Amino acid sequence: MIKKIQASTGEKILLIFLILLAIISFLFYFTIKNKCLFVEKVDLQKINFPNTENIVVMNVECGKVIIELLPNLSPNSVERFKFFISNGYYDGSAFYRVIKDTLIQAGDLEYGNIENIDYYRVGSGKSNLGLINSEINNEFEFKAGSIGLVRDDVFNTEDSEFFILLKDVPLFKGEYTPIGKVIYGLDALAKIKSSDKTEYVLRPDYLSDFKLLKQYN
Amino acid sequence: MRILFILLLVLQFNFVKADEINYLLKIPNLETYNLKSKNGLKYLTTKKNFQIGAKNNISCEKLDKENLDNRYLLVKKNLDLYNKEFLNKINLRFIVLCQNLFISEINTAGIPDYKKRTLILDLMFNEKYFERVIHHEVFHLIQDSFPKIFNEEVWSNFNKKKFKYAECSTCTDKLGLDIYNNTNGFLTEYSKTIPSEDMAEVYSFIVTDKENIDQIKKIDPIIFNKVEFINSKIKEINNF
Repeated sequence: MIKKIQASTGEKILLIFLILLAIISFLFYFTIKNKCLFVEKVDLQKINFPNTENIVVMNVECGKVIIELLPNLSPNSVERFKFFISNGYYDGSAFYRVIKDTLIQAGDLEYGNIENIDYYRVGSGKSNLGLINSEINNEFEFKAGSIGLVRDDVFNTEDSEFFILLKDVPLFKGEYTPIGKVIYGLDALAKIKSSDKTEYVLRPDYLSDFKLLKQYN
Repeated sequence: MRILFILLLVLQFNFVKADEINYLLKIPNLETYNLKSKNGLKYLTTKKNFQIGAKNNISCEKLDKENLDNRYLLVKKNLDLYNKEFLNKINLRFIVLCQNLFISEINTAGIPDYKKRTLILDLMFNEKYFERVIHHEVFHLIQDSFPKIFNEEVWSNFNKKKFKYAECSTCTDKLGLDIYNNTNGFLTEYSKTIPSEDMAEVYSFIVTDKENIDQIKKIDPIIFNKVEFINSKIKEINNF
């Protein structure tokens, strides 16, 4: 006859603790994995835009990002930027260069599309429309959400690439062409994949599409 | 196991931590020091030592705070002589403050980079020459901005016919920066290296030691021509 051994109170508490720990670990695994969980979703229908002409909408993994373009500061650059957006040139563009909590960069139309990203050449691609002149504004403050056109070491070398700031960078004042600012969805951009070791990201996040607001209607 | 650990450590420290200053200037390990000067110059300093350039041939070290604060005042005093408009013309925007600045293992007071609008300064460079060499380096940016105006052939013709400059500023041991008692067409030994260094030396003395230069002009006709040349060309730039 097998003698039944009763679990002591201490053992029962330990068992309950282990079960709870397993449940919490399981929940946390899926919660943490979903990096977009705490990102507030933007609903275009609920926002009243005073001037829809210069509003563009970017879709990234964690939601929509609403951007107001600034043609009064940089008319030529914004016109070019809108051309790329309205023709879907940026769709699939990878955020291949990311400085954690500081800046994300995308828009290489030649080598930076997620479908055929070229890790050796990304950042050197061209749009085939030629370079444009810088439109520097010495009063514009580059704050979190500001969008600027990427250039080489020298001015007047802008093309299709752009960066979005995730924090205020006073040093950039007077250094880059400002083309817009994020008005909703900066927290979705803050979740873009970065690397601790380098600013160039392997298997980067990307923007799935980029449209003028009127293209949504 | 130990080798793997060392390898991991090496990999860990070989990566340059990216930030917005490196993004803009391609110089790592910098932090802002003063971005609000009247003439628009942005002063940066080192968080850690850095190496840049082809094969990392340019290096500079972090300064301690006391030296940085003291020497910065000297740098600012001298660079405040230039207004915003002039600095824009000569493409100077960023001043990097560090110590023990070396290029290809040669200690140097400053390295101007016209393309990046940057001047790296060794704040612990010999105190005797420090203020003057700031203007010497500024002149290199002036010349890079207006190479046709500061024509080296015209300049070389001011010298005696037998005199020849060296092939480059570092392929000679003529590195003395003290002013000659008997100038004989050259203010310092370093003036004899190449035309652009000669011009930069004359310019730096005009800015920092004008009275002395005015005296030398009276007895040295070559120096007279060189000083007049620099003065007239600077006026030309100001009216540009």
